[in-house]
Amino acid sequence: MSFVCGLAGILLFTILAPVAQVVARRAGSPIAPVAILAMAAIVSHAASIALGVMTVEHFRYWNAASVFGFGVMWYVFAFGAVYKSVSLEILLDLAQRPEAAAPLAEIIQRKVPEIFRGRTDILVSGGQVERAGSRFVVTPSGRTTVSRIGALRRAFAIGDTGLYDFAVPFEMAEKTTNS
Amino acid sequence: MSIFPGPLQITAILLSALLPLVLFGYARIGVFHGAGRLFRAGSLTVIALFAAGCLALPGSRDIGDVVGGALLLTTAILLCHVLWSLLAWGFTVTLLTALAGAAQPLTLEQWASAYMRGGDLSGFAHNRLRLLVGSGMAISRDGRIAVTPLGMMTVRVVRLIRFATGMG
Repeated sequence: MSFVCGLAGILLFTILAPVAQVVARRAGSPIAPVAILAMAAIVSHAASIALGVMTVEHFRYWNAASVFGFGVMWYVFAFGAVYKSVSLEILLDLAQRPEAAAPLAEIIQRKVPEIFRGRTDILVSGGQVERAGSRFVVTPSGRTTVSRIGALRRAFAIGDTGLYDFAVPFEMAEKTTNS
Repeated sequence: MSIFPGPLQITAILLSALLPLVLFGYARIGVFHGAGRLFRAGSLTVIALFAAGCLALPGSRDIGDVVGGALLLTTAILLCHVLWSLLAWGFTVTLLTALAGAAQPLTLEQWASAYMRGGDLSGFAHNRLRLLVGSGMAISRDGRIAVTPLGMMTVRVVRLIRFATGMG
């Protein structure tokens, strides 16, 4: 029964989190979507534990917490995968077009720069980067973030690249699909 | 009410805390090259240790303890993966580090070039399209990119997830 209380917590979270996201967006709240997820998780977890304590005779906290954590993490995983994925943004844009297709040149010249500008706007609105005329510069807060990221990347031997490393070059993939 | 975790749940909690240390250790040794390979090695290590714990710990097994322990460890691996992905492949994070690495303020085009290490957004677009084409979600033909039936199915799933998570 303790596991069931954890499942009830997941159910509450899957209702509470999207409602909170919509309300926050409509109200123009500056709270980040991830922070909203965290708040929804805390409220749902507390509610499910309270339910367990009141209704289950031999309630085991860690059984409920384990299933709740597992469910919420999958939610966060799915949320993160679709929230700001560049590849999926391109795919969604393509799907909206006639015949679900677009010239490669148009994707390169219009869609990708649009995505790029969107991300730079996030950094500017988050106070990590500021505009200096037509140029961009990292703020002191951004420098602190960069310093922390650099320390973590060095500690875990992670190279500085946001690019995926694919074995098959795009041109080869193009030939394969043409054949 | 019991707030104490079972033996295997304690094992899972300890292994969850150990995972970043395992990743740190593997990174120091330098055996596994690439962020993805390093993370998989670290995750498999803690999973193997948990399986060993299931077999080696004395006393009878409580199924709730085993299931709870497995779920706790999986949760920790997923959480670490989310953070690891941001650190290793995060677009916005790498944009910030690229700008910080420049000696002077950059225009948008220069920033894109710094991010691409001298390349331009065309290279970035090709990099992301390679994922779509390679996974069968899009095809490239006669200078056009088209969504495949698998891609359309993915689009529907993505829209559903966005709607269900309040981001649609």
